[in-house]
Amino acid sequence: MGKWTRRAFIAGGGLAGVGLIVGIGGNMYVNNAIKKYSGKGMGDGASINAWVRIAPDNTITMAVPRSEMGQGVYTSLPMLLAEELEVDMNQIKIMHPQPESPYANTLFLDPNPRRAYASYSVMEKVASFLPVVGTGGSTSVKDLYDHLREMGATARAALIAAAAEKWDVPAADCYAESAHVINKKTKEKLSYGSLAEAASKVELDFDPPLKAQKDFKLLGKRIQRLDIPEKVTGTAEFGIDARPKGMLVAAIRHASYVGGTVNGVDNEEEVMQMKGVKKVVLLENGLGAAVVADNTWRAKNAAMALDFDETANTLENISSTDISKMLNDIVGDDTKMIGKPEMHGDANTVLNDDAKAVEASYEVPYLAHCTMEPLNCTMVINEDKAEVWVGHQGGSSVRDAVNAVTGIAKENIHVNILYLGGGFGRRIEVDFIKKAAMVAKQMPGVPIQLTFSREEDMKNGMYRPAVASKFRGSVGGDGMIDAWENKIALQSVSNSFMKRLMPAMVEPPEKDPQTAEGAVELPYGRNNVSVQFGQLDLPAIQVGNWRSVGASQNGFFSESFMDEMAHAAGQDPYEFRKKHIQKSDLPDAPRYLAVLNKVADMASWATPLPEGKYRGIAILKSFGSIVGQVAEITKTADKQISIDKVYCVIDCGRIVNPDTIEAQMQSGIIYGLTAALYGEITLDNGQVVQQNFPQYEMVRMNTAPTVAVHIMEVDEYPGGVGEPGTPPAAPALTNAIFAATGERVRSLPLNKLGYTFV
Amino acid sequence: MELKINGEIRNVDVEDNMPLLWVLRDELNMTGTKYGCGVSACGACTVQIDGVATRTCTLPASAAVGKEIKTIEGVAEAGQLSAIQKAWIEHQVPQCGYCQSGMIMAAEALLDSNPNPTDEDIDKSMTNICRCGTYQRIRSAIHTAAKWRAEETTLQG
Repeated sequence: MGKWTRRAFIAGGGLAGVGLIVGIGGNMYVNNAIKKYSGKGMGDGASINAWVRIAPDNTITMAVPRSEMGQGVYTSLPMLLAEELEVDMNQIKIMHPQPESPYANTLFLDPNPRRAYASYSVMEKVASFLPVVGTGGSTSVKDLYDHLREMGATARAALIAAAAEKWDVPAADCYAESAHVINKKTKEKLSYGSLAEAASKVELDFDPPLKAQKDFKLLGKRIQRLDIPEKVTGTAEFGIDARPKGMLVAAIRHASYVGGTVNGVDNEEEVMQMKGVKKVVLLENGLGAAVVADNTWRAKNAAMALDFDETANTLENISSTDISKMLNDIVGDDTKMIGKPEMHGDANTVLNDDAKAVEASYEVPYLAHCTMEPLNCTMVINEDKAEVWVGHQGGSSVRDAVNAVTGIAKENIHVNILYLGGGFGRRIEVDFIKKAAMVAKQMPGVPIQLTFSREEDMKNGMYRPAVASKFRGSVGGDGMIDAWENKIALQSVSNSFMKRLMPAMVEPPEKDPQTAEGAVELPYGRNNVSVQFGQLDLPAIQVGNWRSVGASQNGFFSESFMDEMAHAAGQDPYEFRKKHIQKSDLPDAPRYLAVLNKVADMASWATPLPEGKYRGIAILKSFGSIVGQVAEITKTADKQISIDKVYCVIDCGRIVNPDTIEAQMQSGIIYGLTAALYGEITLDNGQVVQQNFPQYEMVRMNTAPTVAVHIMEVDEYPGGVGEPGTPPAAPALTNAIFAATGERVRSLPLNKLGYTFV
Repeated sequence: MELKINGEIRNVDVEDNMPLLWVLRDELNMTGTKYGCGVSACGACTVQIDGVATRTCTLPASAAVGKEIKTIEGVAEAGQLSAIQKAWIEHQVPQCGYCQSGMIMAAEALLDSNPNPTDEDIDKSMTNICRCGTYQRIRSAIHTAAKWRAEETTLQG
């Protein structure tokens, strides 16, 4: 069942001017689902879905169904296909297809990547059937590493078979190179374009083998990104740059209180008189109001002039200090611990018996994503059809959201995914899609671009939750950790997120796997471990996936407390970690050790630094990749720090594009440091305090460290790279600050503790 | 009002206080210049006005009348990328790319006024936000572009 047919399809008829389309037939189950969607995959009226389209002029178009948000998928995914298809990178054009079944991200429902020529698991079939097409969780390469190569290899084999038949020679006498099939003996060449039609009729009776790593021409090489030329000329089209004919723009204003409702607008007539204003729309469910106008600035001014009748609802008297108290109450109360993701040995008894047990309470605040491109969505709604232009991480979620608001059939909703000016987990949400749909459906036939001002974007976040983490640890007589206890309190991200996106699949908070990411399965071979968590129930504050999710805070907590244990044991933080990893029986322990040793070596850990300079170390695995970092800082004055350099080593298994991996490490580190230095969303009596960058500062050129990256060469299935660089950044820095000042940083951001950065 | 943008005269009918950014983006559909914050804090909207890097999200369009406005669309001349744009590709600077128009406009202005900037000069004049954290590559690309521009000048001299 579910056997691949390994048949290359072609659809030529009725495609005047389009050329030939070579697609790859998939699992029968998926094929049936494809038929449901009339095969809009690569557009142009093709009757089947496809990953590859080969035109008679040898133009090769690839469907890239993952969103380009800076992480380089518009290059790394084509590399996977091109490697096996034997085409050059400059021979590939890419297009973003409709969110159809063949493009499902199966890792969203089944954490194990589907290997080449394997059958689909039940959950992968569900992902394809729904379909769930999205970009997140550092999954793009992991999900498609085998699949795209399999697609390329199958197409290549069919093209070679077609050429062999034409020349009447065995297929073994032919090979493919640069989009041509070449006859080894006669040196004759046929272009893929000229073979595509014949190739479509070939039925392969074998699984074309994938290339050995030693034969790779592209994978593992520094390949220039395909999207960069248009990003240096201002021509790259982001969601906010969509300009469909006849478009009007809209600005939104939400309730003043988080979770508040807007019941009405008292001065609509007055606002309608303002220049350029076309319409005032009160959003459904009290979500706010929007003003449609002919210019975004006019729309924003008008939205600001709206006089709201609003209700605060549940949070009116709640401030961040109250939330902090609630979190600390939870970690202090064993009966509140609903999840026990790692329990072995008897940590409690060991800790109770140890008069010298180390105790430490950590806490981090809510964080906003702050994508550079403020949230926006452009949409036109006709009676039974909709078209959307948006930078979004999940095409299928966009379609579902428009369907939910308008009732328009999903197959009549066309989704154009444009470049994302940053995603980081914010653009997998659909709040801004739904709001755009609510406005657009009030003006049928008129394309409406709804843009959140920076202020509306920041105060309507799907924040990284505020989190408390309370540790106890005990060092045994052998200088090794004997017991480790960690109690965590937060709002469950999975629970909050799934309620918004896939209510039918919501799991209770105690089953949230993300809550403990970075807190469990640490490679330290400890005898007695207890990691538990409790849930803060505060539904009015919606929490979301923020680059590296649970690991973003747990990495800081775990790797800081590991440093505390090293200090308690009177040992060097690197040597202490090394000894513990050597004792660990995790299958990955040797990989951790190699990363740790390499980063210590890069940073010349054994060599003392000049006076005034200090360093800290941290290591964490997340999203399938192990990342170790050493931060090197200078104490320039009392509580004044310069972050000079970060050494970073990643083991992400097989390497696709090393330049992208390096860039993602640099990026993830700056993202983590911005949070550590400045990041904080606070509530003051139900209202978000931070409105714009002046209250939510970022690491900039003058405060950014130099980052030196080393990528381990490890022949294992690939891990992710978009997120794993972020979690170790904060603890590497704060461990360095401890070395510099003796102050153990147990809460972030650092500027709130009086630190400044130069 | 009459604006001179990338050497062309453009007439727009807008309020005097409409920020230049929104004239460019919404009246002229020149979308290369980006909206990031609206309070001159992030620099995504940077263009050059009479050669000076200027944030346009708070600059009234009327203040640019009679001046030379240069946007990202005007940086490449006759399809030829500038040294800075080429260096941006050489160093593979952009990630999401949203801030890069503003970064490039700031860098062009920097090298026009200071052909061989030190790291400190770069720290002082490159104050825009990049949420993807491409600062290190921007710094390297500016140094490379400075070198290339010097070589071009030498050849021409």
